[in-house]
Amino acid sequence: METTSIAAAETSEAIMQPEKKKKLKVMVGIDDSEESFYALKWSLDNLYCIAPEASQDGSDGYKLSLVHVQHPFQHFVFPAGPGGATFYATPSMVDSVRTAQEENSAALLSRALQMCKDKLVKAETLILNGDPKDMICQAAEQMHIDLLVLGSRGLGKIKRAFLGSVSDYCAHHAICPITIVKPPKERSK
Amino acid sequence: MATTEKPTMLVGIDDSHHSLYALEWTLDHFFTNFPSNPPFKLVVLHAKALPSSVVGLAGPGAVDIVPIVDADLKKTAARVVEAAKQMCSSKSVHDVQFEVMEGDPRNVLCEAVEKYHASMLVLGSHGYGAIKRAVLGSVSDYCVHHAHCTVTIVKKPKIKH
Repeated sequence: METTSIAAAETSEAIMQPEKKKKLKVMVGIDDSEESFYALKWSLDNLYCIAPEASQDGSDGYKLSLVHVQHPFQHFVFPAGPGGATFYATPSMVDSVRTAQEENSAALLSRALQMCKDKLVKAETLILNGDPKDMICQAAEQMHIDLLVLGSRGLGKIKRAFLGSVSDYCAHHAICPITIVKPPKERSK
Repeated sequence: MATTEKPTMLVGIDDSHHSLYALEWTLDHFFTNFPSNPPFKLVVLHAKALPSSVVGLAGPGAVDIVPIVDADLKKTAARVVEAAKQMCSSKSVHDVQFEVMEGDPRNVLCEAVEKYHASMLVLGSHGYGAIKRAVLGSVSDYCVHHAHCTVTIVKKPKIKH
């Protein structure tokens, strides 16, 4: 498992002003579902209140990390037709899939970063490889994250048992406080 | 002054120090930065268990026990709310609504989310493992799945191996 971190935004936080404001390190999990982008939007809308004066010199109230976990690419493929023997994918195939995966991740994260920029929030991005559940919990632990924000697809019990739920797993295993954002239902507000 | 539609934040507390820590965490991160005008309206809710659910099938002596259990539960509830009130005032947060509702905490919390149109529910977590969680039940688990709003689970940090 290799980790590739891409700090796309400037990480200028050298000015640690001794104020009452606590710097909250927030991590938002991003994948290709709409719910995770809604979770990001929710964070920007609501947590941003913590930093009322997001001044230009980087003294924001909280630091936002966007993490995207790529599923590890399997180096073998099962043939679709009859015959049933697995064969290893050729290196060129592996490369092209990996490139496609990276392009996809980059597109997702750039969309997420754009949302942050629109709200004048500085964010850094992180791309990890592996099982999303474990990687998110590990990343939160290693980076000493104060709050983890995840979207929830709103799966029912059965689907959740079979498909697995990243937000469920993280709610149980993450060390830090975790916020699970549900997609908005049709309720009058 | 115009009454702006402030989103409501609901914090569920019980008798454990985990939930009090959750309240403290919420106050620290969302309210102490705004002494005059917090961005959220805070409601602190304690779910008081019904004595009938606590006593269960106690047999012939149940009728006598129920009032005693009820009185004890009421005392616990009062103590919990008092502790929460003290926590809030020590953080200089005054515009807080405190409530005690009766019933199973899981249902009470989800109903309260509907009642207050809360935009966020904050709960502490006992940090039970999988087995305990299945047997004892987990309010935070239930609420994550069934509440119609964003749920935040606050864990008390401890040294994990």
